[in-house]
Amino acid sequence: MRLGTRHLWLAMATAPIVGFFALPILYLVAVSFKTKDDVLSGNFWPTVPTLANWPGAFEAAGIAGFIFNSVAVSVLGGLLTIALALPSSYAVLRLKIGGRWLADLTLSSYMAPPIVALIPLFFLLKAAGLLNTRAGLVLVYGFANVPVAFWLLTPFLRRTPIEIEQAAAMDGAGPLRTLLQIVAPIIAPGIVATLIIVTVLSYNEFLFASAFTFSDATRTLPVGISLFQGDRLVNFGQMAAASLAGIAPVYLIALFMQRYLISGLAHGGVK
Amino acid sequence: MTAFAADALRLGETRRTTRRTILPARLGRALWIAPIILALSVTTLYPTVFLLALAFSKSTLGKPFRGFVGIKHFATTLQDPLFLSAIGRSVAYALSTSLLQLALGFVIALLFTSLLKAGRFLMSLVLLPLMTPPVMVGVAWKLILAPAGGLLNGTLIKYGVIPEPISFLGHPLLAWLAIALADLWQWTPFIVILCFAALSTIPEGVHEAALVDGANAWQRFRHITLPLVAAPLSSIYLLKLILSFKLFDLVYILTFGGPGFATTSAGFSIYRRAIEQFDVGRAAAETIVYGLVIGLATLPVVRLHQHFERRES
Repeated sequence: MRLGTRHLWLAMATAPIVGFFALPILYLVAVSFKTKDDVLSGNFWPTVPTLANWPGAFEAAGIAGFIFNSVAVSVLGGLLTIALALPSSYAVLRLKIGGRWLADLTLSSYMAPPIVALIPLFFLLKAAGLLNTRAGLVLVYGFANVPVAFWLLTPFLRRTPIEIEQAAAMDGAGPLRTLLQIVAPIIAPGIVATLIIVTVLSYNEFLFASAFTFSDATRTLPVGISLFQGDRLVNFGQMAAASLAGIAPVYLIALFMQRYLISGLAHGGVK
Repeated sequence: MTAFAADALRLGETRRTTRRTILPARLGRALWIAPIILALSVTTLYPTVFLLALAFSKSTLGKPFRGFVGIKHFATTLQDPLFLSAIGRSVAYALSTSLLQLALGFVIALLFTSLLKAGRFLMSLVLLPLMTPPVMVGVAWKLILAPAGGLLNGTLIKYGVIPEPISFLGHPLLAWLAIALADLWQWTPFIVILCFAALSTIPEGVHEAALVDGANAWQRFRHITLPLVAAPLSSIYLLKLILSFKLFDLVYILTFGGPGFATTSAGFSIYRRAIEQFDVGRAAAETIVYGLVIGLATLPVVRLHQHFERRES
């Protein structure tokens, strides 16, 4: 009986929290099915639902192109980040190259706000002829997320048993071969999780993307949406549909990652 | 599988001997950390040096480095009441909202911990705000707070709380509260996840021992849970502070710094100076001043964290 009341209290405390976190997304969904007049009603759900906003957002605003740019730039940037961060974190942790100062320097570089790098990177991209290109954004994101990836990968590397690496070394494998063929497969869940996190960071990024791109061919989705809302004749229904279309890939990844991480950890636990 | 492994080992052997003869060992070792040195150089070292050079020069976005101007930009920056108040707002915002979110996130994590299995399910649900692009977070909250047809105004009018719509984003204080609310929605889940992890490191036995000793729920929380998570909580606060000082996207989408300059944060102010007014020399000086202020503002929190860590060990 006591347990019953306790659970009731917990449920009553939890419901408003879940409601608060679900509210903005649910409201976006509701608005995306509202007509222009219905948007002004102030009701939560549409009175007469319309499907017109969804194709409208894709036709009028070039949303598909922005989403393609966002996905291409963030995925390639994420792969570049892993390629740069994996050997470095392995070297610092296991090969004892660089040491404490490099780890501290990496952390402090993460602490600086990105506005610090905005102007210098603008001139660097300009000098390299990479301003207003997707390749330029790939490089910026690929480099900028290395400190994050370094810190995410290190605990995974620390947890792998060093005996396996010693055995590989005794069998004559060099450090690069050990990393790629023995260590990397063991920490694959960690690498995938890190890749997903840095990719999402790039996908969501706005400051650099808004300063380094200025044509529809190169703009990412957050920049596209921000221009959408600067429009005076803004159509809230289309804006909601476009926003949801941009959020969908990240939410799919979030759900996918959830399962991947749990199965990956369970797999490691069994071994 | 075994055949493949044996093959790999033989390959490794030949690779190793050739590497030994071609590459000097030291250079080979340096190559390992070359990627991260390159990344840090491009994203941190070069920007710092470049900003310092810009801050002492007459520079526009089109034509940088057109002559040395000494400390002129720093003098202008330190006498500019608009920029100084933007810095003040950024610091006050970061310190207060981070503390609020830490408290709220910790309470939710405690709640989720006591919900056991259901708590784990809810964790994956609250993960979603964290993953949402900040621009879209701004759009969603802007739709809720809109004066014409916004959900909040509509609801308040329907229940007779207010006679006519309020322009939440057009009022200096309410606009800040709107930004803080959207920020809280996006980042509290992150704090919940980190606090949940910190709470799960507390050994079960400690609580049971206190229970046997007759400690009530509050005493157990105050004298066992809280001291054990003090160090992680201070580092979570520091992390959220760092994130809060980066505030830009929500300001851009929700208020664009307005009404007037009421919600112009330091980062947003610098962005407009550089990208809209092209005055990168002065923007560089402002960035350096802001960077130093962030360092000073976070120093007490770093010290607090060190204090808790020492006490623990």
